Formats: sequence, structure tokens, C-alpha cells
Amino acid sequence: MDTLEELAQIARTRPEKLKEQKEKGVKVVGYVGRFVPEELIYASGALPYLLCRGGQPEPPDAVIPYMLRFMSPYSRSQIGYHLLGIDPVIPLLDLIVVQCSDCHESRLADLFEYFKLPAVRLGVPPDWEKSLSRDYYHKGLTQLIEKLEALTGNKVSDRKLKESTDSINKIRDILSKINLLRKKQPPPIGGADFILLNHYSFYGDPEKLLPKLNDLYGQLQKGKSPFPKEAPRLLLAGHVVGVGDYVVPRLIEESGGVIAAEFLDEGMRHYEWNVKTDGDLMRNLGETYYLERTPPSIFQPAWEERAEIMKKLIRDFNIDGVIWYELAFEEVYDIEYSIITKAMAEMNIPILKLESSYEYSREAMGPLTTRIESFIESVKQRRS
Amino acid sequence: MAKDIYEDFLRLTGFEEDEMSKYLPEWRKASQKLGLTEEDVKFAVEEQLPTYFAIELEGIRKLLGCFVREAIDLTKASEYKERGVKIVYGILPALLHFYYALKLTAPDKVFVSFPDIFLTFVLNSFFHKLAPYLEEAEKNGISYGCRHCALNKTRYAARRLGVIPSPDINWIWGFICDEAPKTDEFISIYYDPEWKTYITRLPHDQPLGTVEDEVASRVEYLAAQMKDGFEFVQNEIGIKVSEEKINEVIATWQKYAAKLAELARLMAADPQPVGAVSVRLFWEGLFTPFNTGMEAMEKALDITIKEIKQRVDNKKGVLPEGAPKLLIYSLHPTVPWVAKTFEDNGVGIPLSEFFILTRKQLMPPTFKDPYMAAAEGWLRTSGMVNPGYQAEQICEKIETHKFDGMVFGLMDFDRWLGSSHRLLSRMVEEKTKLPVFYIEGDNWDDRDYSLEALRTRIESICEIMKMRKA
Repeated sequence: MDTLEELAQIARTRPEKLKEQKEKGVKVVGYVGRFVPEELIYASGALPYLLCRGGQPEPPDAVIPYMLRFMSPYSRSQIGYHLLGIDPVIPLLDLIVVQCSDCHESRLADLFEYFKLPAVRLGVPPDWEKSLSRDYYHKGLTQLIEKLEALTGNKVSDRKLKESTDSINKIRDILSKINLLRKKQPPPIGGADFILLNHYSFYGDPEKLLPKLNDLYGQLQKGKSPFPKEAPRLLLAGHVVGVGDYVVPRLIEESGGVIAAEFLDEGMRHYEWNVKTDGDLMRNLGETYYLERTPPSIFQPAWEERAEIMKKLIRDFNIDGVIWYELAFEEVYDIEYSIITKAMAEMNIPILKLESSYEYSREAMGPLTTRIESFIESVKQRRS
Repeated sequence: MAKDIYEDFLRLTGFEEDEMSKYLPEWRKASQKLGLTEEDVKFAVEEQLPTYFAIELEGIRKLLGCFVREAIDLTKASEYKERGVKIVYGILPALLHFYYALKLTAPDKVFVSFPDIFLTFVLNSFFHKLAPYLEEAEKNGISYGCRHCALNKTRYAARRLGVIPSPDINWIWGFICDEAPKTDEFISIYYDPEWKTYITRLPHDQPLGTVEDEVASRVEYLAAQMKDGFEFVQNEIGIKVSEEKINEVIATWQKYAAKLAELARLMAADPQPVGAVSVRLFWEGLFTPFNTGMEAMEKALDITIKEIKQRVDNKKGVLPEGAPKLLIYSLHPTVPWVAKTFEDNGVGIPLSEFFILTRKQLMPPTFKDPYMAAAEGWLRTSGMVNPGYQAEQICEKIETHKFDGMVFGLMDFDRWLGSSHRLLSRMVEEKTKLPVFYIEGDNWDDRDYSLEALRTRIESICEIMKMRKA
């Protein structure tokens, strides 16, 4: 799949392109989290950059002198690379927008500010069913626009916002179409590559990404699946697979399984929900981002609804087993796992919990591989 | 006649002889429900309480008694419920004002409690017997390895073990951590569909250094959230509370807080008049509603202030005069050996930062509206706000009470309160130029961080402090 490599190349060279653009006076805005709409950043004339790295143990460890070590390695990673001096983008950023929906994100924002990085916070109340909370998030978006306008000197007009929303909607549409191809058995693309595609989609100009994603869709429609027909179909669920955290998805698919669907709160496009481009655009944006999409684990109430959504995914994508990918010390996901386990037992769907602190040393890989292989083997046996 | 250890326990915890006929059978029954054996009670009477609490002081005995009385009452919550009394729970940290206002309005119709806090304090501080509760939760969905909070595990386990009933409403607060309110969602889905909850939250989205109680929009939002939550609770249980009742509670709270400020001043005296563990539970009165009322706590506080004042006047202390004195972030009697180890090594940690109040906190509220006043009070509290503002408040407390340094940590289970300590350590050290230490540990549960595990760390800190002060 050369197109996938071309998309990878666009994503890999994003930092250089951002630097070039910055030298021409374009502002670069980093952001953390699914509640920060890229559409607003584009509409302000700035370029967005999603901070979503993970997969290595050293960056979260670099944060320990400043933060409790029992915090999410994913959140810690978003500043950890910078503290190690190996993040090419953070020093370029004119603004960093951090969603504050949970303790891990808010503490990350504390650290950005402590290190005098240009951070602003977007409050996301987890008690999402109240009008008070909805209004709070809407107000937060309005304040974010003011900050973006002050930074760029550009007005976020309805026209610009409609353009950027249209553009991101198209990206979501094509990812959704690619995702639906995975209902086939065997699917033409596995989860490891589909997660990559989602990641790549954040690190390129939409007008450059879109034709390539369309090409890829065409190729996948016609192409042959790289997976054997009997490969067990797995759902990968949890908080996030960060950019660079690809060991587990790869290992699953190298061990004979195929990830046919994901249920992840962060790092994915949430491509099933487009933002409406008629009427009050800001309200549309707020409604889609805050209310319509699958509630993240931190929202309350959320877990019953999330379990039902997972069950539907399992039925729609004909899933044989679930792998719950949990990052160490993410307390909310750890408790949710018990709820999900109960829901899976009701459906007679096997579930495997893998907990990671991004420690993928040679010593750690052996037991991890054995667990994944054993699980896939047992799922295969159940199918036969 | 054989020695009655249950009676001895009540005597040791400040119960009067004329109260025995009422409380002795209740205490026997309650201790059984709590899972305490005669051996456990004997351990409390003969070892734990005499070792860690100044039981020679009447005020301290009475203080312990308030917690025993509340624990007994908690074990009767199912009976109350059967009689039609409405059960209202809450979780820490929360504003107790609204719970007391309910109680003031309809004393016989409502039962209010933050059950986990009383169970945790009584079971671990007095009997060192919380582990069975924690293990019950860990076997049933709240894992051991993720370092979840002992309070949340205890609340869940208490329901599973039948110690407490389902509430009519559990008003849960996520002003601090995420895990506490999510635990209640877990309980209702996983174990008890009758575990009805209402959630009130506040995002941590203020920049470092923001004086949050002076940001009008923040105070207004918090007040609106509190009002929304309290109205839901009132509707749910059919008890209407007037704003005057909330104001009455705020005034009572201010009065109690002022007395605590006096106690804090006495505890900071040189020499330190009494072991830190002994008085620490008084500060729970600021955050935790007692269904049995505040009067007994206030009475115990009055007696204690009088007794300690006498010690201060007589220069009588548990440490030598001039001993180094550290402010600790939060000292919990659930791990009483922490303070005692410091004190045994010649260093005092008389006060907890989380609980002692700043000058601003002792000032009357700016607002007449009770919700705005309550919100403002909350946002004046150091543990509830951004670390920049919190660091400023900590520095004021260090200055006020003339501390020689500070100890952070022992909160590794808390992704909000505990997660900022390393950052706070740096901020406070930068501002005060005093030594600031960090101890990884757990203030509720000492299964992982035992005295043996932390002794060397504490001894080293004491050595450093003594050398600096020599």
C-alpha cells in the first residue's frame, strides 16, 4: 500500500512543514484532546497539531520529578518528550490548547504552564447531561475563539468556519467509509493500519490528505485482504493508542488476529459524527463534540451507554473477542473494565486486559506476546 | 466480674457512666456489624489508642467518642431507612453545609453521612482493621494494582458487606478527583441498582496562580452547580430547605473554624503541646457532616482548647523546646505511626496544611446568597484550587505558624490532591527557601507503605531538620 506510505510521509514531515509555515508568519497551535475542535484552529488561519504521543517509557518517566508517578503515562508523554529535548514541535507552538476533562489532562496543563509554555485550558465538565455543563463547554469554545483571534489577528468568520468544517467532515467521511469496509471477512485493512490512518489524518493539510485517502479507499475496495479468512476478529478498546504506541496493535495482528473495530476515546477521528454546516455553526460544533459522540469514560453517566455501544459494535462488526488496552494508573478506565467485563460475559464474548506503562523492553515483550497469542488461540478455538 | 472490654472502650472514648446503659449494647451490636472482634476492641483499648492518642485529655477522649457515636449511628442506617427516614450520602471532599441544612430542617426525617470517611477513620485509626473492606472491594471489581483510593473501596465494600443501605440519594462531588464520583457510577451499575446518585462537578481549568475565589464567573458557576445539586436532592427526598438554614450552617461553620484556628495556634506552640494525631480529627468537622450533630464535636473542641492551653502556658510538651517543626500536607490518624515516628525522632508535624485555614478563609463571605457564599468559601480552600494559588496559601500558613519546612506526599492514591505534590514542593521551596520533602505513601491504607518501609525516609528527614536547626 504505497498510499499508506505516502500518508506516513506527509505525517512524518509535518514538523518541518509547520516550521516553514511559522517562518512565513502562520501561527501553529498544539492541542490535547478530542474536545478541542480542529475546525476552529483552521478557521482562525492557524495550523493545528495534535499532541498525542505515546509508546515509550522514558518520556513519562521524565515527568516524575514534577508529578505523581501514578498518573497516566499517556498524559505524561505529552510533555515528557519535550522535557527530554526530543519533541520537535512543542518549541514551535504559539499556543497549546489543553482540554481539561479529567485530572490527568489538568495536571498536564499545570506542567505546560509551569514550564512557561503558552498553554490555555478548555474546561470540559464531565457531568454532561446538565444544561449548565453544556453551556460551560460552549462558553469555553467561545473563549477559545477569542484567544485564537488574538493570536492570529484573524476573525473566525462563519464562512471560514464553514469551510474548515466542510473540510474536516470530508476527512471524517472517507475514514468512515474505510472503516465500514472492515465489516468484510477478512477485512481489507486491519486495526494497526487503520489507527495509523487516523493518526496520519491529523498531521497533514486536509486538501492534501483527502485525495490520498480517497485513493486508498478505492484500492481497499478492490484489493485483497492481507489477513487469512479464519483470522479472529477483535475489538481493541480503551483510552488511547498514542502516536508511536503501535506495539500492541501490531502484535495482535502478527499473532493471527485482526482488529476489526476500535473503541478508543482519544487519538481517533470520531468519524461517525459530522458537524452540521447549516444554522448556528458554533452551536453545531459544541453539540457534536460534547453531546453527540460516544461519551468518553470520564463522562458521568457514561458506562452503561458505552457498554451498549460496545455491544452494538461487536454485533455490527461480527467481533469474536475484545482486547482492553489499559494504560497504567488510569483509574477511571481500570474501574470501567469491570463494567465491560460484565457486559462481555452477558454476550459470551471473551475479553483480555492488557495493561501498559509503555514498557516494551525485550523482557516485557515475551510475556506480552504469549498472552496475546494465547488469547487469540482461545478465540480461534471458540469459533471453530 | 470479668473485665468488659467494650465498656472499657467506651470509657476510653469519652462516654460518661450514665451513657453506658444506652451505648454499650449499641456498641456491641455496631462492632459486630462492622466486623470487629473482641480482640480488635482489646487491641484498640490496650495498644492503639494509648499509643497514638492523648487519652489522658478529656477533650481528646470526647473527640474519639464523637466518631464512635457516629459509627454506631451509621450501622443503624438500615433501620432508619426501614422507618422511612431518607438516607442522603455524600463523598469527600464536599461542602457539608447542604447536608447539615437538611438535618437542621428535618432532623428526624433525614439521615446524612459520608459513610466511607467514618468507617475508614474508625476502623483504621482505632483498630487497624480496614483491610477486610479494601480486600472485599479488590476482589469485586476495584483492582488492587491501580492504586485506587481506600475511601472509594470502603464505600463500595460497606455496601457489599451490608454495613450501609442504598441511599435515597447520594449527592456525589467531583470537585477534586475523578475516581470518587465514578466509583458511585460503578456501584450502581455493577452491584446495587438502588445506589442512586446525582453528580456535581467543576473542571480544573484555571491557570496557575489564579485567585479562584475572586473570579466572578467561577464563583457563579460553582454556586449554580451547588444550587442545582441541592435542589435535586431536596426534590428527591421531599424536604424543602430554606436559604436561612444554609446561612445558619455557614455561620456555625465559621464559628467552628475560628475555634480550630485557635487550636492550630496552640498546636504550633513551642514546645508542641500534644501529639499531632490526637487532635487531627477535629478538622474533619470542617468537611464531614455528622448525623449525630456538631454539638458534641464543638464541646470536645472547647475542652481540648482549654486543656492544651494549660499545657502551653506551663510549657509542657511532647517534644523538647526548640525542636524543628514541619508543616505536613495532610496527616491522617489512619496511619498514626507517621506523626509518631517524626515525634519520636525529635521533629514535630503538628498541623496539616489541608486543614488549617488562611486569613482569608476566616473572613466572612463576601456574598449574602448562601450558594455564592459557599462557592466562594470552597474556592478559598487551598486543596480545591490550582497549584499556583495553593502554593501561595501554603506559604502563608508556613509563615503564620513559623514552620521550619514542609512535608508533601502520602497521597499517592489521589490523582488530583496527590498528583500536584511534586510540583507544589518545588513552588513552595522556591518561594520560602525552606526545606521541602516528599514521601511517597498512602494516608489511608498502610498495607504497602508500612512503618518499616518508611522509617528510614522519616528518620533521614528528621536528621536533616535537626542538623539545620542545630
